[in-house]
Amino acid sequence: MTDFKLREPSPDWERIKKTVGLEEPDRVPLLEALVEYPVQSQFLGREVAPDDIKSQVEFYYKAGYDAVPITVSAMAFGKVDDASPISKVIREKMLKDESDKEDMTKWSLEYASFIGDRQDFENFPWEELEKPELLSQLYEVKDYLPEGMKVIANSGKIFTLVWMLMGFNNFATKLIMDEQFVSDVFRKVADIQLNLLDKIFDIPYVGAVWIVDDLAFGTGPIISPQAYRDHVFPWYKKIAKKCHENDVLLFQHSDGDLTSLMEDIIDIGSDLLHPIDPTCMSMREVKKKYGDRIAFAGNVANELLRSGTPQEVEERVKELIKNMAPGGGYCLAAGNSVTEWGKFENFIAMLKAAEKYGKYPVRF
Amino acid sequence: MGNTLLDSNRRMETMSEHLDKIMEAVISGKHAEIEALVQAAIEDKADLDQIINDGMISAMDIVGQKFAENEIFIPEMLVSAVTMKKGLEIIRPLLKGDEIKSRGTLIMCTVKGDIHDIGKNLVIMMLQGAGFDVIDLGVDMNTEELIQKVEEIKPDILGLSALLTTTMPEMKNIVDTLKDKGLRNNVKVIIGGAPLNAAFAEKVGADGYGQDAAEAVELARRLVKEK
Repeated sequence: MTDFKLREPSPDWERIKKTVGLEEPDRVPLLEALVEYPVQSQFLGREVAPDDIKSQVEFYYKAGYDAVPITVSAMAFGKVDDASPISKVIREKMLKDESDKEDMTKWSLEYASFIGDRQDFENFPWEELEKPELLSQLYEVKDYLPEGMKVIANSGKIFTLVWMLMGFNNFATKLIMDEQFVSDVFRKVADIQLNLLDKIFDIPYVGAVWIVDDLAFGTGPIISPQAYRDHVFPWYKKIAKKCHENDVLLFQHSDGDLTSLMEDIIDIGSDLLHPIDPTCMSMREVKKKYGDRIAFAGNVANELLRSGTPQEVEERVKELIKNMAPGGGYCLAAGNSVTEWGKFENFIAMLKAAEKYGKYPVRF
Repeated sequence: MGNTLLDSNRRMETMSEHLDKIMEAVISGKHAEIEALVQAAIEDKADLDQIINDGMISAMDIVGQKFAENEIFIPEMLVSAVTMKKGLEIIRPLLKGDEIKSRGTLIMCTVKGDIHDIGKNLVIMMLQGAGFDVIDLGVDMNTEELIQKVEEIKPDILGLSALLTTTMPEMKNIVDTLKDKGLRNNVKVIIGGAPLNAAFAEKVGADGYGQDAAEAVELARRLVKEK
């Protein structure tokens, strides 16, 4: 268990709302789409499992966050493991041979794909991805949520789900050689995500939807900007519209160099972009160019959290707050997620530095 | 004499037109048209090596450059490769010995613990497009088995890929094991992957680093020449 203690946790969703609205609240908010469970476990001094929502809420509360991220979709942030709903669906509905269920290479979308052609598409058990059980953690969290805190629903993943279901090479070649087919798969996955959103909006303590969908490599977009405009961004736009009609914010995460997609992302209507991948983008430049139209979160590099010292992490947090926070529009977060392979002491250094330097007005 | 020169010039023009069209088809990924274009070139008695080298391999070099400069993206590059393959299938039965001359042999894999293979697969595709024989050992490759394969297959080059900072160190282990087994001088080692760079390649004792698929092809060409 860590000796780190905030003076007094004071979660306040309005802090994030104000920041995203490009105003200065009392403090620079902390925000993450995922703090891996071993990190949460070390923080609390007891094991936190993926289904232990009570402990997760306790972690985010005690660490100083204003919101708890909950996955409400077929695919969670991070690795596709046996806890991912999509894995359960594939294991239970797609595998014929019992022994394959024990073999991760047979069911994990990181190894295997399931929609090769139109027949696979027709036969896929899509209805399983819309089952109300996917929202169970979102309902459960209500019992534990402290006053002031809200929930961020990690949902709306479209691009990654489509290419993973199809297999990357199959997806990429068919995107050009059989575009209608790929378009149909996109439509199906997007419809499912939109239907789920309708259920999410009925829950009053959901403050934001966070689309975690990697669109780029460190060298640039995975598919052409035009292909995103044709097949992915119109769906994000619908999600943004629905969110805003329901007074819910829309956050977006993508790794990689998004420079050539920035105008599109703003046009979609996303309220916040995360994490401005520190390995290939400059947060200062992005803020300078787009900071009056969209808010940002992130940029404390995961490599720094892995190999740096707590002093270096503190310096980086200070620098980010100094450059990014004045005028609002910035939440402090890691350069991807808080991973178990980063040093725990560096995560704590990040939280401490947020407390030390994050008070508005920023003066140092 | 004058007529022969004229005929020869006209013939060169026709050949050049054929090659331009083939090249353009590969670059633009005109997969539905390539077979007819190659067929037409063959009917006009175009040199088969020239179709392969000046028509298709040169086209894939341009594709690689365009990709490196973000003018095109993975789908376009893959369709160019599909297009080239379709063209090659028309030519292959006509080649003596049914073999296209290999530029060299590579073994490729992602290292132990790493299952991310998009980058590796792109590099393989571009290497094949450039005339190399590539043996793909897949992902998460056990180092012991990999060394056995190097001993058995005796490739010119071993290509290692890693996406994760946590799996990168395995590359040094592989190079060290090759040294311990006395195999290091028989095979060039090249590495690639998002978190890597040339300094890391030097540090682990590899022979080179490629930032993208086009660079990997250039590197492979240079190293095979050096061997």
